[in-house]
Amino acid sequence: MSLASDSYYMFLRWMKKLVRNPILLFFSLFQPIIFLVLFTQLFSSFGLLLGGINYTIFATAGIVLQNAFSSAFQSGTAVVDDIKSGFLTKMLATPASRASILLGRLLSDAFRVFAQSLIILVLAYGLGVFPVTGFIGYVLILFTVAFFGLAWSGISLALGLRTKSAETVFGIAGTLTFPLLFMSTALMDKRLMPEWMKSVSAYNPISFAVNAIRDLIMIGYNWNSFLLSFGVISLIAILTLGATIYEFRKVVS
Amino acid sequence: MPAVQVENLVKTYGDGTQAVKGISFKVDDGEFFGFLGPNGAGKSTTIKILTTLLRKTSGLANVAGLEIEHDAQKVRKLIGVQMQDTVIDEDLTGRENLELQGHLQQMHGEELKERVNELLKVVDLGDAADKRSAYYSGGMKKRLDLASTLVHRPKILFLDEPTTGLDPQSRAQVWSYLKGLNQTGMTIFITTQYLEEVDRLCRRLAILDHGEIVAQGSPSELKSEIGADRITLALANGNPGTGSLKDMAKQVLGGLGGIKEIVDSDEGIVVYAKNGGFLVPDIVRAFDTAEIKLSSIGVSSPTLDDVFLKHTGRRIRPEEIDKSRASGMFGRRRR
Ligand SMILES: Nc1ncnc2c1ncn2[C@@H]1O[C@H](COP(=O)(O)OP(=O)(O)O)[C@@H](O)[C@H]1O
Ligand SMILES: [Mg+2]
Repeated sequence: MSLASDSYYMFLRWMKKLVRNPILLFFSLFQPIIFLVLFTQLFSSFGLLLGGINYTIFATAGIVLQNAFSSAFQSGTAVVDDIKSGFLTKMLATPASRASILLGRLLSDAFRVFAQSLIILVLAYGLGVFPVTGFIGYVLILFTVAFFGLAWSGISLALGLRTKSAETVFGIAGTLTFPLLFMSTALMDKRLMPEWMKSVSAYNPISFAVNAIRDLIMIGYNWNSFLLSFGVISLIAILTLGATIYEFRKVVS
Repeated sequence: MPAVQVENLVKTYGDGTQAVKGISFKVDDGEFFGFLGPNGAGKSTTIKILTTLLRKTSGLANVAGLEIEHDAQKVRKLIGVQMQDTVIDEDLTGRENLELQGHLQQMHGEELKERVNELLKVVDLGDAADKRSAYYSGGMKKRLDLASTLVHRPKILFLDEPTTGLDPQSRAQVWSYLKGLNQTGMTIFITTQYLEEVDRLCRRLAILDHGEIVAQGSPSELKSEIGADRITLALANGNPGTGSLKDMAKQVLGGLGGIKEIVDSDEGIVVYAKNGGFLVPDIVRAFDTAEIKLSSIGVSSPTLDDVFLKHTGRRIRPEEIDKSRASGMFGRRRR
């Protein structure tokens, strides 16, 4: 009944915490920007191997996704903080809807990824990257990546709620980021991958989302790849958010 | 209708720890009720159950006439809860902390704004209201935490050791706020390890030890149950803790008339006796004859500490908390 308004105030709380920690905000954007500016320069000759395309344009989709991935992966640590400080307990002592505690957090994760992606796209625009699908393309990209962020933060939340250790969440996130990123089409076309990696990358959920966004940037509307990525992200969301709700119930009861 | 009614309440944690072993007590509407006990007695466990934060194992627990597990949502609207550790969001200002609590209690708009302003004044945070609470001093944080439990005008306020770890001045301040709140009709349920505070302010109290209530009643009732003055003896030669000397001393005391009870204490021996003052010369003479040296002897009227000592054979030592506090900053304290 009060789910919507409770979630809104929870969301607002996270937003305030985010903007009041500008260092956090800066560092979470630092890596994607480095990737966008340096990595694409360093690897610009890959463009030649891919038939003379501009590598920066190619890699933008991957970098946007990489940011969503690592940003959302930190969500669980914030919830661990709330458990350890007792703030979660304090919220549970009020009649606020239980679901709003998770929902507010997830909405803030999605919004953060949305805003960060927008910044990356604006920077990329400065480097000459703009989607052939124009404004609608931007909108579709931002929503896809925010949805991806929401689904992905579920993993982090479930881990945080289960282990109650920020170090564990950080450790697992840090360990998984690069293998998952490199074994996807985020930064490399599958034609240039060794065979075994090609098959791994074909099942890597990041690849699906990257391909959909890359098509919007480089080719145009490819509804097949768009809907496919939507389906894959939905599947991840169901799994990770299911796990989160399960772990949350255990913590709350 | 009592504000809190508990019968045979039991809590056994998942690891088998029996934190609460079938306690029963009642808190009347508008009462200032103290829940007293040493570290690990089960105070926090009881308060968590009564505030819907922990499921009981068995027994009956009603708050404001509502069964806590069945009517948890209704109970949460009627109560305010302050946890043992200060809990505020340090990224938010004092005002924002209070407003968030209000929102989660379904308060909005002008009504909430006014209420928050009023509370900020009550706890003397008017000037710091729009500063990040991270920059508050310990006492200010505690006051903000207290204010945040009051936003929705709870009927019953639960406080878990609100004064532990505070300097004496802040402690006195918190107690005076609480006294004021109680005078407006709010029921207050407070746990503490500070006996003098309970003695002075609580109308009734229960003493908890190892998960069991060992005594309950008004402070004066409990003290008069002792029905005697206390005479504290400290033995001079050797460590007062060593057995044989203490036993000898107790034997000597046993031979004297007019003594109600002899209890071991960490400092030496405590003797309860009517008209204790008259007994002192007898004791001194008897010890002289037995060649046991006394390092000190003193007479006082009984305190709640004596009540506790009588029922448990131990004393409550609030300074123990400070040690556990200090280690809690590094290791995680169990909640
Ligand atoms: N979550 C828990 N799991 C297992 N044992 C616990 C838990 N919380 C508290 N205890 C134990 O229950 C007993 C009572 O603890 P507590 O209610 O915190 O006491 P107090 O608040 O009076 O110091 C202690 O022995 C404590 O170690
Ligand atoms: Mg406690």
